[in-house]
Amino acid sequence: MPVSARSGFSAQTLSVLAALCAQPSQWCHGYELAKQTGLKSGTLYPILIRLADRGLVEACWQDEPQPGRPRRHLYRLTAAGLASATEALAGPAAEPVAVRAGNRSAGAGARTASAGRDTVAGVVQ
Amino acid sequence: MNKLTRMVAAARRGAARLLPAGRRDWAAAVWAEAHEVPPGLTRLAWRAGGVWMLAREGLPRRIGRVVLFAAAAAAAAWAAWPDSSASVATPVDRVDVITMVALLAGLPLLARPFLGPAGSRTARFVRVGTWAALLALIPAEVALRQFRGTPPGAGIDLRLYLLIAPPGHPKQQAAEILILVIMALYVTAILWVTSRRARIAPATLAVGTGAGIAFGLVMYTVAPLGLSKEATNPWLPGSDSDPLVLLAWLLVFFGPVAAAVVADRRYTASSGSSRPVRARVGQMMAAGLLTSMVGALFVTVLGSGTTAVMVKAAWLRDWLYHGSHLLYGVQNLSVDLKTLPAIAYSHELTGSADQGALFVMCLFFPLIALLVTPCVAGIRCDDAAAGRGDQRPGGGGPPGPDPAPDPPAGGRPSVTDDDAGQLAGLAGLADLHEPGPDGEQDGLVTTLADAAV
Repeated sequence: MPVSARSGFSAQTLSVLAALCAQPSQWCHGYELAKQTGLKSGTLYPILIRLADRGLVEACWQDEPQPGRPRRHLYRLTAAGLASATEALAGPAAEPVAVRAGNRSAGAGARTASAGRDTVAGVVQ
Repeated sequence: MNKLTRMVAAARRGAARLLPAGRRDWAAAVWAEAHEVPPGLTRLAWRAGGVWMLAREGLPRRIGRVVLFAAAAAAAAWAAWPDSSASVATPVDRVDVITMVALLAGLPLLARPFLGPAGSRTARFVRVGTWAALLALIPAEVALRQFRGTPPGAGIDLRLYLLIAPPGHPKQQAAEILILVIMALYVTAILWVTSRRARIAPATLAVGTGAGIAFGLVMYTVAPLGLSKEATNPWLPGSDSDPLVLLAWLLVFFGPVAAAVVADRRYTASSGSSRPVRARVGQMMAAGLLTSMVGALFVTVLGSGTTAVMVKAAWLRDWLYHGSHLLYGVQNLSVDLKTLPAIAYSHELTGSADQGALFVMCLFFPLIALLVTPCVAGIRCDDAAAGRGDQRPGGGGPPGPDPAPDPPAGGRPSVTDDDAGQLAGLAGLADLHEPGPDGEQDGLVTTLADAAV
């Protein structure tokens, strides 16, 4: 998996961070993140697990599930995660690298990362 | 489609059981989220991705380790398994192989409910290294016992002249059982020191292991062909006053002390002496114990391996036995027996007998460490307490109370990455260093500290 030399995050991880960065205080669902980043569940969840292991993302179960549906798992950035994401997305080296040609999910990730950088830039300003 | 979905669901349930407890929430999360995905192929793809995630997270960790251990154990047993009916050692060796593999496989399973998993990545490295060393020891030891248990094809049976009892002899049985007990104690101690419950800092483990390997290397340089009253290294004169022999003696006593001091410095690096005394004592004793155990195991494995190769390789035997002080095995023989084959056989017998004495180190080195490390731990903690007393306004007066313990959660060790060099780096263990658990001490730390304070 290509990794940003500066931040140490892969392009896919950056896209997840960017998606979470868009509304840092809001809890996000896995499917919502998958749609935003274009990542499959088999790629998205391992990334979330790693980020949670590093204390960059916190997870919890939904308090009140919709009737007839199981409770959903929710995610958002921690303070440390927001700082790391801000740093990783702010620099030029955060450009997702080595995106395979025709890779739809990575392309979506790049767009999300770009949007995340805009958000971060707004926060910083 | 429904059938496919059910198959994927069944695969998910099976794979989820393989996940560590802390990961099972994630499996449930993927599955719960599938209800939000549009039905049909998209939902099936989502669930298939979940199964893939489970396989990535669960299978490589547990099954990978089990397969790796099974392969290594099978290779060791295959290499060691004796098939010679000519040697009286064959029954003993078969029992030894089975017992050692059972110990290595069973003790971790038995200990896990009480001690928990490995406490850190460094702890896992220490465990893997110890298991690899013990597996390597099995074929070496069996080869030497087979050699001692097999009568020579021609000539006089020098075992009678050299008073070397064959394996399985009543005199040897107690020693063979003792060796198995020592190995079981080593496995248990390593499992304990590296467990999550013991809460030994990764830097302490790295220091203890690095110092132990350095110590073992010195011991191996002095006695590569087993332990005897003289150095068995042919390149040394065999004198008791040889600098390397003196260094080895010094390291027996001061190696664990030095490791304990370095481990304590690292442990208190960021917070000064504000660490709880019990925690510091526990870290120091763990470092000292690990140094002696790793050192003894290191020289035992390397020495046994060298001797096992020597009895099979004439060139190595002739090269190793060029030292005149190593000829004591044939000094008392009559002149007519000092033919070349007899001398060679004598060297091999002497080496194989001296190899057994390496286990004496495995027994006594940890005992020495357990005796000397509490002394240095007491001195360091007393000094720290006195230092705190001196710093109080007005000076003098009794030392202040122990500081409050660290917060139990969220704490990080007082270990910096810069600390990872030095001793760990000496043994190439710098990459093992990592931050690790901290905070309240229990388990091994408390037990060791209780014994020492």
